[in-house]
Amino acid sequence: MNYAMVKRLILKDWYLQRWAILASLAGIVATLGIIATGGKVAFLIGLVVLIMVIISIGAQMAVATIVTERKEQTLPFVMSLPISYREYTACKIWGNLLIFLVPWLIMVVGSCGLLLLSPSSRGLLPYAVIMSTEILLSTCLILAVALITESLGWTVAAIMIGNLAVNGIGYVVAHIAGIAKGMWGSTIQWSGAASALLLGEFATIALLLGVTSFVQSKKKNFL
Amino acid sequence: MNGLSVHFEGVSKIYPHFTLDNLSLELPTGTIMGLIGANGAGKSTTIRILMGLVHQDQGQVHVLGRQMPREQAAAKLDIGYVSEDMRLYGSATLAWHMKFIRSIYPQWDQPYAETLLRRFDLKTQQKIKGLSHGQRVKAALLLSLARRPRLLVLDEPTTGLDPVARQEVLAELMAVLADEDRTILFSSHNTLDVEQISDQITFIDRGRIIASDNKETFLDRWRRLRLALLPDAVLPKLSGVVEVGGSGRLPVLVTNRFDPAMVSACNDAGATVQAVDPMTLEEIFVVNVHSRRGKQTV
Repeated sequence: MNYAMVKRLILKDWYLQRWAILASLAGIVATLGIIATGGKVAFLIGLVVLIMVIISIGAQMAVATIVTERKEQTLPFVMSLPISYREYTACKIWGNLLIFLVPWLIMVVGSCGLLLLSPSSRGLLPYAVIMSTEILLSTCLILAVALITESLGWTVAAIMIGNLAVNGIGYVVAHIAGIAKGMWGSTIQWSGAASALLLGEFATIALLLGVTSFVQSKKKNFL
Repeated sequence: MNGLSVHFEGVSKIYPHFTLDNLSLELPTGTIMGLIGANGAGKSTTIRILMGLVHQDQGQVHVLGRQMPREQAAAKLDIGYVSEDMRLYGSATLAWHMKFIRSIYPQWDQPYAETLLRRFDLKTQQKIKGLSHGQRVKAALLLSLARRPRLLVLDEPTTGLDPVARQEVLAELMAVLADEDRTILFSSHNTLDVEQISDQITFIDRGRIIASDNKETFLDRWRRLRLALLPDAVLPKLSGVVEVGGSGRLPVLVTNRFDPAMVSACNDAGATVQAVDPMTLEEIFVVNVHSRRGKQTV
C-alpha cells in the first residue's frame, strides 16, 4: 500500500470539498450554541438540526468524492495516477470517514457534554451515544453503497434508508426496556442492552467496510 | 521484455455485447504507434487494459516491464495518459492541478511545463470549468507531458478539437517525438492525425487486430489499380488483391502487395492499366475493414 499516495488523494478530496466541510463545521458549532442556551425547544430544534447537518455532510462527501468523480469523468484522471484500485478504495474510505469523524466527534462530545452539564438530562446519555453511533453506521452504509455501485440512484436510496433508519432505530431503541428505564432520569444507567447495541453497531460498521474492501478488490472494470 | 514498452499476448476481454479477442501487440521502445479503429472497435478497451483500469479475462500484459494489472501503480509512474473521456477538476485551477501532479511525479519538469503553458496559451490561475474543450485537452496534455513519461498513451485526444487546436496538439506531440526513448500509443478514428505522427500503424476492428505494420510499408504496398479490359479478356489473377470494384469492363483492384510486375501481368492478360493510385491511410483502413468483415460473413 502506497500510503503517501493515499494521503495525497485524501488531501485532494478535502481541498476540493473544503467549502462544504467548513460550512458543516460552522453549522454544528452554531447548533451547539443554540442547544447551550438551555431551553427545551432550543434543545429539540438544535438536536434535529445537528443530526441533519451531520447526516448531510456524510452523504455530501460520499456523493461528491465518489459518485460525482465518475459522473464528471474525473475518475480516469485519478486512476491515471500511480495508484491501484485498492489504494483508491482506501483513500475514499479513510478520506470520507476521517472528515466525517470531525463533525461527528464534535457532535458526540458536545451533546454528551451538554447532557452531563444538565443534571436532569443525564439519563439520556446512553441513548445519545447509541444514536450517534447509528448515524456513523448510516454514513458507512452510504459510503459502502457509493463505492460499490458508483451510482447516484443507489446512493440516494442508501441516503434515504440511512435517514429512515435513524428515525426507526431511534424509536425502537427508546422502547427497549434496558434503555427506556433510565432514559429520563438524572443518573446515567448503562445497561447490558446498551452495551450490546453499541457493540452490534460497531460490528456492523466493521462488516460494512470489510465487505466494501473485499468487493472492490474483486472488481475487474474500473472505467 | 527487452526493447518492448508494451507487450500484449493473447489478451481477451469478454463483455455481454463486445469481445476483445485474443489480442497480441508489441510496441517497441521509441516507436509511435497509431491505433486506428471505428467507434466501438476496441481501442479504448485495449488502452484501459494497458493502463490496468480494466482487467483482461485471459492473456498477459506487460507495460514498461511491469505485469498488468498487478503492477499498475509502479507502471503508471512512467506513463502519461490522456483520454477523450478524461476530465480535470472543474472547480480547481490549472495551477492547482500542476502542483498536485508535481507532488506525485519526482521527474516533473517545471521549465518544460512553463514552455507548454506559453505554447498552448494557457493561464494557470484560470479554473478548469472556464476553459474551452480545446484548452482542457491541452491542459491535460501539459500535465502528462511535463511529468516526462517514458510511455505516452493517448486515447482519442484530438476528438472534438477545432482544426487550430488539433494542429497545436499534434505539433506538440511531434516535438515530443524528438526524444528517441519516448514511446507513444495514439488511438484515433481520425486517420489523418495518426498518419501525421505515427511510424507504426495497427488497425483494430470488432475487437480484433486486423493489420499491424510500419506506416511506410502500408503506404508503399497498398495500391489501387484502374484497369480497362479488352473484349473477351478476363481479369488476371494477381496476388494480394483484397477488393475488386468498378464496372465489368473497367474494374478497379485494390492490392496490399503491390509490385510493378503486376502492371505487365495485367497487360499480358489483355487488361490495360490506366492508373496505379497510391492510397491514403483512411482508404487502406476502410478497405481492410470491409475485406475482413466480408471474410467473416463468408
